[in-house]
Amino acid sequence: MPDFAKFVLRRIFLMLVTLFVLTATMYGLFVLLTPPEVRAMAFVPPGRVKPGAMKNFLETVIREHGFRKPFPVQYAHWIGQLLQGNWGFSPRMSDEVLDVLLQRTPATAELLLFSVVLFIPLGIISGVVSGWKHGRWPDFGFRFVAFAGTSIPPFVLGLMLLSVFYVGLHWFPVGRLSGPAAAVTYAPDYKTYTHLYIIDGLLNLRFDLAFDALRHLVLPAFTLSLAHWATLGRVTRAAIIEELGKDYVVTARGKGLSMRTTVWRHIFRNAAVPGLNSIALSSAMLLTGAFVVEIIFSYPGISAPLAVTFKYPAPDVDLAMGFAIYSVLLVLPLMFILDILQAVADPRIREGGADL
Amino acid sequence: MRNLRRFLCNGRNLAPLILVLSFVFVAIAAPWLSPPSGGNMPAPFKLVESVDRNPLPPGPDAPLGTSVYFEPPDTLLHYDVLHSLIWGARTAIRFGLLSALVAATTGTLIGAISGYAGGWFNALAMRITDAFLAFPILAGVWLFQQIISYLDYNIVLLANHPSLEIIPVSTTAFQKFILALGVDPMMLAFVFFTWMPYTRLINANVLSLKQSEFIAAAKIVGARPRRIILRHLLPNTLAPAIVLFTRDIGALVILRAAFAFIGIGGTITGGGLSEWARLLLLGRTWIIGVGGNLWLYWWLYVPVTVALILFGMGWNLLGDRLNTFLNPRQQD
Repeated sequence: MPDFAKFVLRRIFLMLVTLFVLTATMYGLFVLLTPPEVRAMAFVPPGRVKPGAMKNFLETVIREHGFRKPFPVQYAHWIGQLLQGNWGFSPRMSDEVLDVLLQRTPATAELLLFSVVLFIPLGIISGVVSGWKHGRWPDFGFRFVAFAGTSIPPFVLGLMLLSVFYVGLHWFPVGRLSGPAAAVTYAPDYKTYTHLYIIDGLLNLRFDLAFDALRHLVLPAFTLSLAHWATLGRVTRAAIIEELGKDYVVTARGKGLSMRTTVWRHIFRNAAVPGLNSIALSSAMLLTGAFVVEIIFSYPGISAPLAVTFKYPAPDVDLAMGFAIYSVLLVLPLMFILDILQAVADPRIREGGADL
Repeated sequence: MRNLRRFLCNGRNLAPLILVLSFVFVAIAAPWLSPPSGGNMPAPFKLVESVDRNPLPPGPDAPLGTSVYFEPPDTLLHYDVLHSLIWGARTAIRFGLLSALVAATTGTLIGAISGYAGGWFNALAMRITDAFLAFPILAGVWLFQQIISYLDYNIVLLANHPSLEIIPVSTTAFQKFILALGVDPMMLAFVFFTWMPYTRLINANVLSLKQSEFIAAAKIVGARPRRIILRHLLPNTLAPAIVLFTRDIGALVILRAAFAFIGIGGTITGGGLSEWARLLLLGRTWIIGVGGNLWLYWWLYVPVTVALILFGMGWNLLGDRLNTFLNPRQQD
């Protein structure tokens, strides 16, 4: 088997291991912390059980669902249900958990995509330039912005932006679409391709829709990507500075290459791996950040139900569990792609196989 | 000691240190800086009497004004902003230090032990660590909170079934353990999802250090694994973990404030919120709500925001300086 295929297969296997570990931990926490009676209570239809019959009813539910069985049995049953698409029911949203999450996915996907498109190229370019010209003014400028970007908590930044650009200047609205643009999506000749309004708007040649969606995305995407841009830039900068002192740079310069060619052709590829690694590590944080930002800007993504649940005293564990699994399912493919990219950038990684 | 003096002699190290120490000072001196109002009120709360439904501007009663909580029939609470700010430093430092310390210790030990053991055990431990790295912390903390709130069964019962008999409910062993620990469940959740970077750092270092001669020498003289790990391996690998720990103290406090702000981790009247987070939550409606105005009600937001930013910045900078100090080769 060629090296690369082997590498990809190993990564897929590792992804499955990760998934198993995480789901087992989450479900384990739930089982360890919740007495069977309390879990059975979720199955009681409100007001339908006669007074005095509750105890027996709960016992029946516990026996039926096997809440007292050993953990592996319960876990296997639960995973089986998940795979069949039965993610449970959310009383707060009065809907199936999977439906609740799937309906809101395009919004979150649009926000994430837009932020990633914003921060990765910017982070790499500013990191390279700042490393290349380190100690001079572009470097100082970048380091100042990066420092500010990592020091201001995203929710504080979001609030500032809201109060200036939404409350004060009315430049950028909150939510996902404004009224007239939303009406466009209900028009009979409007075709839905991807559920991402910017792309759909362009494909339908309704530029007003795309522009409106874009206007709604600017503030949340900026808030979300600033810190990640700063981190990526810093890591790239450090890697570039480290590479600058190496012999091959002297060779490249010695044979008459310009600094620009040396940096982008030779140094950049060697310095890309730490950057990619940093993106992979921050992808989980990116999702957490996206959830926070969505709530601040009342953006109707998959974290919107979260804002509903905490107003109720009774927990909604099915939804929380579904949310957690779904987030992991969103992060893992991202990490997988980044792993592959890393291997493309650095042949040593795909041949090494240092782990497992 | 000599290292400490060397660290203090560098002027650039002093600024973040002073910043951080001033927070520590405020935290310790809170009862003197802003005495609690007494009575049966818990110390971190100080209410100002007023019938006004708008936040009171800075005045003699409240040096930095008040933040208002109003719930329609007749709940009207004026929280003293300065008091909350001062006592919030205490909560923030306690939470940051404790959770970062527990996370760092757990992560370091896992990393060192599995690195020393090596082989398939290490491979497995690292896979588990990587799995946790892929987990968005917000989803984890939310899940934890939802499960933990099951601890209060009566709430579940009352919410779903208003008129119901009392059902005897068994307690799981793990639940008893957590209740017996008496720790803040949110802190547990944060620790649960922040130990991984330490493990990875320490593990990589231990793996490379394990091959060196002084470890072989220690083995030859008959040192037990425990002694080798604690006396020989850890002291040589701790530097990057200390840097991470310092940065984490600020980062965790800010993260928790962010979560509280979007509603995870407590409610204004129900408790569970840190003082800073309560200020943020209370101020939100006056800033971005209907008729909200950041410039008119500045005291609701500016002081607590500045405090949070300075807190995060102080620990972050201190981490940077420690990094340059401890790893001189890795110049920033």
